[in-house]
Amino acid sequence: MSTLEIKDLHVKVKAEPEHPEILKGVNLTINAGEIHALMGPNGNGKSTLAETIMGNPRYVVSQGDILIDGQSIIGMAVDERARLGLFLGMQYPAEINGVTNAEFIRAAINARRPDDDQIPIMDFLHQLDDTMAQLKMPEDMADRYLNQGFSGGEKKRNEILQLMMIHPHWALLDEIDSGLDIDALRIVADGVNSMRGNDFSSLIITHYERLLDYITPDVVHVMKDGRIIESGGPELAHTLEKTGYEHLKAGDGND
Amino acid sequence: MIKRLPLANTPKIPLARYMKEVKDSQPVAAMTVTAPSAITVSHPAEASGFPRRISLDEWLTASPQQITEITVPAGYASAEPFRVTGPTDGGGLLLIHVGAGAHVAFQERWASTGTNLGVGVLVDIGEDAQVDWLTYDGFQANMVLASRTAELADRATLNWTLAGFAQNSGATLINVNLRGTGASATVNVGVLASGRQHVGYTTAMTNYGRKSKGHINQRGVIVGKAHLIFNGIGHIIKGARGSDNQQENRVLMLGKDSRGDADPILLIDENDVTAGHAASVTRVDKAQMYYLMSRGLPEALAQRLVIRGFLEAGLLEITDKDLKADLFRQIDETLVTTDE
Repeated sequence: MSTLEIKDLHVKVKAEPEHPEILKGVNLTINAGEIHALMGPNGNGKSTLAETIMGNPRYVVSQGDILIDGQSIIGMAVDERARLGLFLGMQYPAEINGVTNAEFIRAAINARRPDDDQIPIMDFLHQLDDTMAQLKMPEDMADRYLNQGFSGGEKKRNEILQLMMIHPHWALLDEIDSGLDIDALRIVADGVNSMRGNDFSSLIITHYERLLDYITPDVVHVMKDGRIIESGGPELAHTLEKTGYEHLKAGDGND
Repeated sequence: MIKRLPLANTPKIPLARYMKEVKDSQPVAAMTVTAPSAITVSHPAEASGFPRRISLDEWLTASPQQITEITVPAGYASAEPFRVTGPTDGGGLLLIHVGAGAHVAFQERWASTGTNLGVGVLVDIGEDAQVDWLTYDGFQANMVLASRTAELADRATLNWTLAGFAQNSGATLINVNLRGTGASATVNVGVLASGRQHVGYTTAMTNYGRKSKGHINQRGVIVGKAHLIFNGIGHIIKGARGSDNQQENRVLMLGKDSRGDADPILLIDENDVTAGHAASVTRVDKAQMYYLMSRGLPEALAQRLVIRGFLEAGLLEITDKDLKADLFRQIDETLVTTDE
């Protein structure tokens, strides 16, 4: 039963303090159990929002706050936020040689558990097998090095595999649909839907209504020029699919 | 007439200064060899077959602490590696002769203590022979000068991995001479330098034979106040037409006081060849750290995984699972100690 609140969030790139803000006052509340979709044209701050919530050190909050159940998290390092229950399914996951997928996922699960209560290896392997089967991932992907040489679609599926294994409270999914064919899209969407419940909320960033045909959001937001300019129900995504974003102007929002 | 160099070409490595140190010379037990009976082992009083081309060879062959000579007969074939382990408290000379057409794998391991050790290894590989050679340096001595040379005859192949996980300062010279037509060799080097270690690796791959192929791949991780130098020397001799010489030298620095050098050198005296090099000295990849930490891994653990992955590229060919686990454990221990 937790709430993620974004209050008047202003964000810059840390290495470019002289450049204008990318986020210029974002307000957003995601209640427990809700799925929100964030749409909007490229280069208007959607990924920056997700990265900033996760705690990417590339970005700096110049104003506003990010709160979980009323507690600010902007002073927390990325790994602390992750252990608190945040998860970011990335647009461009890093490739790491020498570390197998299975070993990494187990380390991520164990990082959330006390030292004297680590996940038993057989339990872990069963869960991993089941989840990979659900995502129709070949078995050898467990033993391959993390994202190393994975195709675009394999990487996306692997992000969802981690999501389903880690069971975060809040999943930020950044263009998880890009590079997926229609079958893969359905599998990935089924994976996300299987997570739905009172203990899971999600912010799904996408350009296309297509993904939202499979994962029905509770709320749809449109972001333009660093602000959320319009919010509505799932029908908003359908409207946008027909009209595009052009007619929407920054400042027209209802937030 | 073979061109002879009086001094080894080891840029940035103070080899002459190291050679002024008095080498440990008291006799020690010979190397332990665990091998099938077809392989013969002897301990001659003189290492007559060991080359004396440069001043370092003189330093190494003067009063060696022990001499071990191993002969693998022509046509021998086994994928099971035989093992040669250095004496606990000294260096010495090791000569391995691999007969024509033999298919052989061996592991050469050192964990010797001492003050200033000299280690010389010569492996000559006969025509059409195939050799898998794994060197594991875990010296506990203060200073070690190690020179290892492989000589390859026609169509001989060598796949050599050297894991440098020692505590000593000093220099390691790796020389692969592709003498024969169609000879081919790959040398992978993975080094973990820590503490106040000052170590240099010069890996030289020389194409003498036509259509010979030589690849060098060196990876090093430096922690604490250590200084690691990687030199890679690719040399194609005139007449070695159709040959190929490639090298990659990559160094990852972790400590703010760590120092690293990666120097590729290409010497090409023939036109009809291919050659290339890549080198980098970098810090830990921030995107990789962020990714691992975004899944909840604490910074120290994330760093250990990134480093392991980096070194893995140099240790890729190690199929011995126990040895690999041991190397990974050492990486973890070294980094934990450094964290404190």
